[in-house]
Order: sequence, then C-alpha cells, then structure tokens
Amino acid sequence: MAIQNSVLIVSSILILTVILGLLIAVLVNRTFPGRGIVRVLLISPFFVMPAVNAVLWINMILDPVLGLNGLAVSGLNELVAGLRDFPVIGGFFAMWPELHPISFRATQTSAYAVIMMVTWQWTPFAVLIFMTSLQSEDESQKEAAMLDGANAWSQFINLTVPHLARPIAIVVMIQSIFHLSLYAEIEIVSRGNGNKNLPYLIGEFTSNNIGAASATGIFAVILANVVAIFLLRMVGKSLMD
Amino acid sequence: MAAVAQTSKLGKVLWPVLAWTIALIFFFPIFWLVFTSFKTDADAVKPEYLFFFTPTLENYTNMTENYDYWRFAINSVITSTFATGFALIVGVPAAYAMAFDPSRHTKDILVWMLSTKMLPAAAVLYPMTFLTKNLLGLFDTHFLVIMVLCLINLPIVIWMLFTYFKEIPKDIIEAGKMDGVSTWGEIKDILIPLAWGGIASTALLTFIFCWNEAYWTVRLTTIDAATLSKLIEGNRAPEGLFFGRLSAVSTAAVAPIVVLGWFCQKQLVQGLTFGAVK
Amino acid sequence: MASVTIRDVKKSYGGQQVMHGIDLDVNEGEFVVFVGPSGCGKSTLLRMIAGLEETSSGEILIGDKVVNNVAPAKRGVAMVFQSYALYPHMTVFNNMAFGLKQTKTAPDEIDRRVREAAEVLQITDYLDRSPRNLSGGQRQRVAIGRAIVRDPEVFLFDEPLSNLDAALRVQTRLEIARLHERLQSTMIYVTHDQVEAMTLADKIVVLRDGRIEQVGSPIDLYERPASMFVAGFIGSPKMNFFTSAELVVNAIKKLAAVAVVANIGIRPEHLTASTEKGALIGGTLDLVEQLGEYALVHLNTAAGVPFIAKMEKPPEVTKGAQMWFTANPSLVHFFAQESGLRINT
Ligand SMILES: Nc1ncnc2c1ncn2[C@@H]1O[C@H](COP(=O)(O)OP(=O)(O)O)[C@@H](O)[C@H]1O
Ligand SMILES: [Mg+2]
Repeated sequence: MAIQNSVLIVSSILILTVILGLLIAVLVNRTFPGRGIVRVLLISPFFVMPAVNAVLWINMILDPVLGLNGLAVSGLNELVAGLRDFPVIGGFFAMWPELHPISFRATQTSAYAVIMMVTWQWTPFAVLIFMTSLQSEDESQKEAAMLDGANAWSQFINLTVPHLARPIAIVVMIQSIFHLSLYAEIEIVSRGNGNKNLPYLIGEFTSNNIGAASATGIFAVILANVVAIFLLRMVGKSLMD
Repeated sequence: MAAVAQTSKLGKVLWPVLAWTIALIFFFPIFWLVFTSFKTDADAVKPEYLFFFTPTLENYTNMTENYDYWRFAINSVITSTFATGFALIVGVPAAYAMAFDPSRHTKDILVWMLSTKMLPAAAVLYPMTFLTKNLLGLFDTHFLVIMVLCLINLPIVIWMLFTYFKEIPKDIIEAGKMDGVSTWGEIKDILIPLAWGGIASTALLTFIFCWNEAYWTVRLTTIDAATLSKLIEGNRAPEGLFFGRLSAVSTAAVAPIVVLGWFCQKQLVQGLTFGAVK
Repeated sequence: MASVTIRDVKKSYGGQQVMHGIDLDVNEGEFVVFVGPSGCGKSTLLRMIAGLEETSSGEILIGDKVVNNVAPAKRGVAMVFQSYALYPHMTVFNNMAFGLKQTKTAPDEIDRRVREAAEVLQITDYLDRSPRNLSGGQRQRVAIGRAIVRDPEVFLFDEPLSNLDAALRVQTRLEIARLHERLQSTMIYVTHDQVEAMTLADKIVVLRDGRIEQVGSPIDLYERPASMFVAGFIGSPKMNFFTSAELVVNAIKKLAAVAVVANIGIRPEHLTASTEKGALIGGTLDLVEQLGEYALVHLNTAAGVPFIAKMEKPPEVTKGAQMWFTANPSLVHFFAQESGLRINT
C-alpha cells in the first residue's frame, strides 16, 4: 500500500512536471516584453522550503473551509444562490446542485495534494532545464527542415523532442532521487490518515516499533538500490560521457 | 529563422499574455503567502477580508519579539554556510580525483553515491538519535547539524562538481603535470580557477538545499542549534489557526533564499542543470 | 640535450595491448619524427616518454637514466600539445612562467627567460594578453614558448600543427625547423602527415599498429622503404602497386626475376611515357589533374587497377585513350606478396 502510493506519487509528479515543463519552456523560449521577470517568477517556487510549501498549500490554499479552495467554492455557491432569485435564468440555476469543496485531507485526495504541491515546486526546475537545452538547439537544422518544407509541428516532433531526450532523462533522474525520499510534504499533509509513502511508513514505525522500522528500512535500502541500478545505470551513465 | 517565421498578429499578443499568465499562476502561492502575512490571524480566515484589509506588521514584530526569529535565522545561516563549505572542501578533491584519474569503477561509485540520496532518512533516524544523543552527546549542537547537512548533500555536490570538472580539457591538467605543479597546486592554480563558475553554482545550490532541509534539522535539534525549519515546525498549528503568524514566519524563512535565487539566477540555472545540459 | 633510449616498451590498456615491444634510440640533438596512421600508437609512445602514461613493461632512458618512475616534470622534457593546452585563466606571460614558478626560480630570472623566449617567437607584444584573445598561430607559439623557457633536454611535440590552416602550417613548420637549428636540442615530433615528417626529420620512425615498421632518414624511407606499408605511406601521391600479371607481357624480362612473384611498386614521379614496345605498363586515361608545374594523370590498367603517373605536361589525348609508361629498373620496388616486406636490396 505504501509502496503503491510511493510509486503513484513519484510517477505522477514526473509525468506532470515533464509535460508542464516542456509546454512552458517552449512558451517562454521566445523573446517578449518582460521575459526576465517571467523567468524570475517562474523559478521562485523551486526555492521555497518543502515544509513551507506543504503548510502553504494544505492550509491556505487547499483547506476545504478556510483555504482558497473552500472560500472559492462557497463564493461560487453564494453566487449561484444569488442568481436563483433572478427571473428566467433563475430557473436554470435552480437546477444547479450546491458544490462541496474537495477535502484534501482524506487518504486518496491527500496524495493528490502532495502531487500538486511537489509539481508546483519542481515544474520550474524542468522548465529551466528544458529552456537551457532549447537555447542550444541547432538553428541551422531547423532551417534545413524548413527548406525541406517541414511545418512547425513536425519540426517539434522530429528535431526538438529528440534534442530534449537527454534533458528529459536528467529531469526524470534527479527528481526520482529527490522524490523517492519525499517526507516533509507527506508528513504535513497526511498526518494521521492512510496516505503514506515508504519513508513515512518507516518514520511511523520508528516511533513505536523499532524492529519493524529496521525491517522496512532495509527493504527501502534494497528498493532504492534496485531503482538506482535500473534508473541511474540507464540514464546516469549516458549523462557522464 | 526569426526573419521568415510567420507569427500571426494574434500570436504576437497571445504568447506573451499566456506566458505572463502562467508565470503569475506559478507565483501566486508565494504572493498569497506574503499577502496573508500582513493580515492579523483573525482577519486571515475571514472571507470578507480576503483581498481588502488593513495591513499590519503585527505578525513580524510578534515573530521577532516572541519567537526569537533571529536566533533561528542565524542558526540557519551558520549551519548552511559551514555545511556548504565543508561539502566543497571534501567534494572538490573527491570530484577532482574521479574526473582526472578515474578507475574502472568510478562511474559505478558515482551512481551508487547518488542512489543513497533515495534512501528514506527515517530508516536511520533511530540509530542517529541514539548515537548522537546517548553516545556522542552531540545532539542539538551546530556541529552535528553542519555534519549531517554536509553529508546528505555530499553525493550531489560531488556529482555536480564531477560534471563540471570533466569539461576541463585533460590536456590542461597534463600541461600542469609537465610544468611540475604539485597536486595541491593543480587544484588551487588550475582546477579551481577554471571551474570557478561550476563551483559557485554548486555552492549556491548546496546552500539552498541545506537551508531548506527539514528532516534532520527538526529531529536533531531542540533549541541551541535549531534552524528556521524548526521554527516553521513549531508554528505549524492545527488547521486554520494563526494563518497570519504562520505566513509571516514562512515568509521570513523563505524570503532570503528566494531573493538569493533571484540575484544569482544565472549561476543557479547552470547549477540546476547539474552541469549536464548545455 | 640528451639522448632517449626505449627498450622493449609495451603498453596495454585494460588487457588490450596497444604497443608491442618498441626499441628505439634517439641520439642527442636529433630531430626524430614518429609518423603513422591515426591510432597506431604515436601519442601513446610520446606520452610514455613524457611520463603522462605509464609503461606496462620495458624501460625508457633519458640520457643514461632510467625514468620509468620519474615524475614528468623531473624528466627534463617539455611537451607541446596538439590542443596547445594553455592555461586559459593566465596571461601569456604567466602561462610561460608557470613551470618556472613551480621550481621556485627567482622572479627576475623568470622574467629574463620568458622575455628571451618571447623574443625568439616574436610574441613579446602579447605577453599581457589572455590566450583567448590570440589567434591559433599565436597560441601555438605560446605553447612552444612555454616549452622553451623550461630549457628541457628533450622537446616533445604531439601533432602541433594539425589545428592550423594550411598556410600557417607551412610557416610554423619552418619555424620549428629553425628552432631546432638554433637550440640544437633533442626533439621528438609526432605527426600523421608524411610531408611534415619528410621535411623536419633527421630520423623518421614509422609506426603501425603499435609496432615500429621502419626507422631511417627521410631519404632512406623514400628510396628504400622496408615494406609496402612504408612505401605507401611515404611520398605523395602514393606509390602505385602492380602484380606481374598487370605488367606488359615481356616487361618482366626487363626487371629482376623476382618480379614474377612479387608486388611491384613504382612511384608516380618515376613513370615516364614511352612507346608500346618499350613499355612496362599500359593503361587507359581516366582523368587529368592539372597543377601547373606538373600534371597528375589517373589511369586504369586493363584489369581495372587504378594508377597515377606524374607528368611534366598533361597528355594530349582524351579520356579512354591508351597510354604506355616505363620506369628506370633501379627505381622499381619489389615486395613479398605475403608479408609485404621489401625483396630487392
Ligand atoms: N586511455 C586509453 N584507453 C584505452 N585505449 C587507448 C587509450 N589511449 C589510446 N588508446 C588506444 O591506443 C591506440 C593508440 O592510440 P594513440 O597513441 O592515441 O594513437 P595515435 O596518436 O597514433 O593516433 C589506439 O588504438 C587507441 O584506441
Ligand atoms: Mg595522437
């Protein structure tokens, strides 16, 4: 269960950051007014302490009552309620159900919360790497492709994406390293509910069952090394040449 | 390319607007944090004061007067600085040896070192606390925090430095050998000047990782060596209470690093790619 | 100035042997060139002399001292790298002074020696510049200057001209020759370019797959190549090779009896046009390269083997025409068919 959750969280974060990172990098990789400031704004989340990140998201943004999530939903409900009093369209809005804000403290949804906050923090990282890499893309190749009549989409697929293979590998590798041992976010978000990843499970054991903690610890060591062998061997070696 | 690329008028307006929107969305949580820190705890949870309220510095004065912010901040500066320094002192020679005198297993060692980063820290919490508290008496000392921060960051430090050092042509190091430079001289007079940019990036990034570390700093300290992470931990009240105070403390903990990040953007971008993307 | 002696030196990289027992004597003050195709082990041998690479077995002596376990800087050798390998963060002056500083030479002595070397190489004006603000040729001079100031017993050059453009290459080649004349020191020079080898060397060492193929003066190698490999490597355009079957039927009679079973080599510049009757070899004209001073005539034998004749004037025939050539029998080389080794003495 904890393993499954670990895998779900890490892989979702990886997929999301890579896709978002790619899109944003392509978007920002042109000249437009205020590009420098946009870059600064985009990079900022990466520097936020994970503990602050978790507190900020789970309390002030995602909280179903007091966070922006709760406030927005209740605001919407009030708006709908207000609209019901109008003639004609009121009938239409009367059919709307009352919305309930999602609580991100339940077992399953709190995993989403973790995914959301970590994605927020690490997408800038992906954007930066992809942007750096895009800037080194061979323009003459693109020009040749244009002369060959390739359109923008086929240029992107045939030239840009292969060029980004290595940076994508780096993003995946480095994030795996950091997220497999993810702790602060899980702890803050999931205190007391069932949303555990492996590190958190071990942490829990540590406080009441040293034997189980050690056993899980050793299991985690083995798991980390297995992942390391597969992931780093494939990705890491190519990086070092 | 740019000369002939057909960008429609709509595109010319749309792209920047889209980019700005996304940037603002990403920055919004940080903005919200700072924004909320100027509300009183009571105001912070009232919808009617969501956007319009009377700003107050109460949270900040409260934080410095009652929560001893500066002590935590100074501890953070001390531990992060020294941990970064030590990590470089160990990491530079190690990465140097790996880059210029590799054995058949150097790459495996690097990969393995990095894989230790994937270990859940919790697995060694018990032995660590037992060892430091009961046997060595180092619990809650700056020295312990510095050592732990240094050690957990060492794999990344060595790996980053390795990728930077590898970019230095081997010929130049060999020219130094022909010129009769000592090993120490080689590091001091050739390696460090040549890899200066990479070393600076590594140092900055390590400093940030140290500053943000919240597992060991929270668990191996009580008061004397407690860092800003510990301060956050202490202020993390049950849901919804003290949003204003929490925001102020968080802002004060995060601001130095975010600002540092802004000013050293160039080096950081280079550092963040871990030397592997050009 | 010192001699260099190499005794049965072998080198392996992780089980892969790349040098197979090299024996070589380099005399004091001699200019020796290692030449051979890329990957034959020239750099490896040079780097073993420099001390940048360990020998797997065998001995290297500089003067009469075994230097196998002596640090590079203590061997009295200086090296000029193909990439120049200048310290990019130091000025030209400091690049040249760096080695002297390591030996705690007095500052005014350093200054004197650096300026003297700079004078010789005409780089005095650039002493305060950074290497990145120099052209390729100027960088090359600084690299040579760095070697000169250390006043070494032996100079080592690893393909020092290969990063220069053609014109500069010729000019720098001359300067290196002058430098050798002036300093009279022992120089070992690696190149894959046979023209550099021919023009610079007192003694050429031809390497092939980690073995010495032939050692000799340039003219020796040109006139009496020890194998087909050397024959093909030295001289431009390359020597033509034929089998007796491709020669004109009774040509064998005009040559030595061994010709029947041998590979026959004739340099393009030794082929002269002749009548069909007096010919050694015939071919149909394929292409003429007119170079003004001379013309390179490309032909094919009846069996389709291409060969080249170097003629003073381009022939006045068109493509496909039959042409006949002869050569002075003393300029015809014979090589054993199996081993490729020289037969005629
Ligand atoms: N560090 C090394 N590790 C393994 N093989 C090497 C190494 N250096 C050179 N070699 C091999 O040794 C042979 C000779 O190389 P080298 O001396 O550089 O050739 P050259 O300078 O004549 O072009 C080549 O086959 C090369 O692949
Ligand atoms: Mg070579």
